[in-house]
Amino acid sequence: MKFKKIAAMALAGVMTLSLAACGSSGEGKKDAKKDDNKLTIWAWDEAFNIKAANEAKEIYAEKNPDAEIEVVTMAQDDIVAKLNTSLSSGSYDGLPDIVLIEDYRIQGYLTAYQDEFAALDDIASPDDFAAYKAGVNQVDGKMYGIPFDSGVAAMFYRTDMIKEAGYTAEDMQNLTWDKYIEIGKAVKEKTGKHMLTLDPSDLGQIRMMLQSAGSWYTDEEGKVNIKDNEALKQAFATYQKIVDSGISKQVADWDQFVGAFNNGDVASVPTGCWISPSVVKAEDQSGKWGVAPFPKMAENADSVNASSIGGAGWYVLKNVGHEKLAKEFLKETFASNSDLMNQLVVDINLVSTLKAAETAENYTKGVDFYGGQKVFEDLAAWQNNVPTVNYGQETYAIEDVMTEALQQILSGADVDKVLGDYQQQVEAAVAK
Amino acid sequence: MRKKIGNAMKYIFLSVISLISIFPFFWMIVAATNESVEVTKGTLIPGTYFMENLKTLLASDLQYINAFKNSILIAVVTTTLAMVVSSAAGYAFVVYKNKTRERVFNFIFLSMMVPFAALMVPLFRLFSKFSNLGPLKVIALNTPMSVVIIAVATAFLIFFFKQNAQTFPKELIEAARIDGLSEVKIFTKIFMPTMKSSYAAAIIVTFMTSWNNYLWPLIALQSPEKRTLPLVLSAMGSSYTPDYGMMMTAVVIATLPTALLFFLMQKQFVAGMTGSVKG
Repeated sequence: MKFKKIAAMALAGVMTLSLAACGSSGEGKKDAKKDDNKLTIWAWDEAFNIKAANEAKEIYAEKNPDAEIEVVTMAQDDIVAKLNTSLSSGSYDGLPDIVLIEDYRIQGYLTAYQDEFAALDDIASPDDFAAYKAGVNQVDGKMYGIPFDSGVAAMFYRTDMIKEAGYTAEDMQNLTWDKYIEIGKAVKEKTGKHMLTLDPSDLGQIRMMLQSAGSWYTDEEGKVNIKDNEALKQAFATYQKIVDSGISKQVADWDQFVGAFNNGDVASVPTGCWISPSVVKAEDQSGKWGVAPFPKMAENADSVNASSIGGAGWYVLKNVGHEKLAKEFLKETFASNSDLMNQLVVDINLVSTLKAAETAENYTKGVDFYGGQKVFEDLAAWQNNVPTVNYGQETYAIEDVMTEALQQILSGADVDKVLGDYQQQVEAAVAK
Repeated sequence: MRKKIGNAMKYIFLSVISLISIFPFFWMIVAATNESVEVTKGTLIPGTYFMENLKTLLASDLQYINAFKNSILIAVVTTTLAMVVSSAAGYAFVVYKNKTRERVFNFIFLSMMVPFAALMVPLFRLFSKFSNLGPLKVIALNTPMSVVIIAVATAFLIFFFKQNAQTFPKELIEAARIDGLSEVKIFTKIFMPTMKSSYAAAIIVTFMTSWNNYLWPLIALQSPEKRTLPLVLSAMGSSYTPDYGMMMTAVVIATLPTALLFFLMQKQFVAGMTGSVKG
């Protein structure tokens, strides 16, 4: 009896607290505005986007010597946690003016907190950037983000192993997955090495195959599209074909994935262009790598030799207090400055999504590690072919569920039946 | 003979288990002495790259030394305050009889069941008001004290000290009262010294929790120069091409204080875990 009373009291206490939190979320907005003129930028990679932000800061400071800009490194998950807490409590203390957000996550933010983000149509136009990014950062026809790095997918491959297997660089161009498996089998036979690594807990490969066919887990309206999704069926079937053919080496995490190609255990790495800095770290393999377009699914008429994975953009939080300044900063740097992009090619291997950057000098230079291939020019060209898809709001939540679906399919379950079952499961997961 | 074989099996089993538990530490140290590429390749032989890793670590923008200082400050202050406040509470719950005592204790105990994630948003809102409230500025967001204050009186510590105070002989307190010692002095001069080993255990647990604390510091500390070690380590790990050598060097240094504390207090810690007052 006594216990029940106390439990009731505790519950009541918690509920009052949470009610109070919901009730007055508007009032924090007024008192949080800062008076100073310091811009804060959040991003997550010391060797990549942080470096980019710092270089942008220098360029901006040349013209605007009074500008005070602070660039802060924070893990991506931490940025997500802090944004969620602050935005849902309506308190802007310590929030940044400009924040980098991954393409797969931004639609969720823009839907839940549309009023918190500044529309950026007055400082840039979607036409200035790679076309597929238009599906990422727009809501109701307004553009909310300045696209930053490209996620254009590519086939990084070992020229020496392909040659040993009896194929040429020519054969690697405009691949279909069937041809890829055929080459993989030859590589396995002749060199004893696997063709690629697969991580069963990561659906990145499926995601890339889907986008190559202009499809996603959700349709244009954001509704879950799994049961009758032909491209998804074909992607799963292709994945299974790769596993069954024995050309894949199973890895359990990111470190093993990177370790496999650094160690020379696999002949190719089909993934986003951002893997390049990790590939070139193995200096002993210099000159032995090439880059080809991403394979397509021959059985799907819409599938092309181009796709994307990852990538991010800069967003302005307008209620933090420096909307105008933040916009001005982006306008002069990431939204237009091809000199900055040219410099970033050398410093961080950036494949920019800014169209003006394609003609920049460093894009047209050959890279010794890739046997003199003009890698950046190629990647920049392929990214213009990437089909535009709407990533929806729940990509990661859906993939948590779909990872199990993949396991079932790999262990022999019927694809149609599994996808039918998971349509409902995913709908339930997303409804939460 | 059979006993000998049994013993041998026992030792083999224990050796395997200790090897398994020591391996991550071994690997951490090996990785700290190697270049990042070697780490991803899975090298298990100590290298000669430690000084280089240390240099990159100290040269990075992440202000590692500063974070180390912040962590030490927060952990030491938290532990000191928590020992005083929580042990006094635990002691009082046992020694002083009161009608509502049990009810208050149960309420505190129940609070252990509310996950921190559920408290985060209300706490954040509460703390964000403190900056305008005069003396409460001391514990406002973005101050080290905002992290300390949350961890000073925890349900677990109060419960721990209450359990231990129950084993403390009441006769001692009564004898001291008859001799005319004040209540505060009974606590500081009699209870505290006798319960040394309980304090040792509590110190280690509190220091470690504070040292590893992640979620609240992440939300509460906003400027980069205020950040603690776990936050900086997390920021390092999120690169697309992490520098594992540098990261592991950072981790090795970050484990030193807790390891040191544990070795210093090992004897008392073990005694504290197995029951404190003797005779």
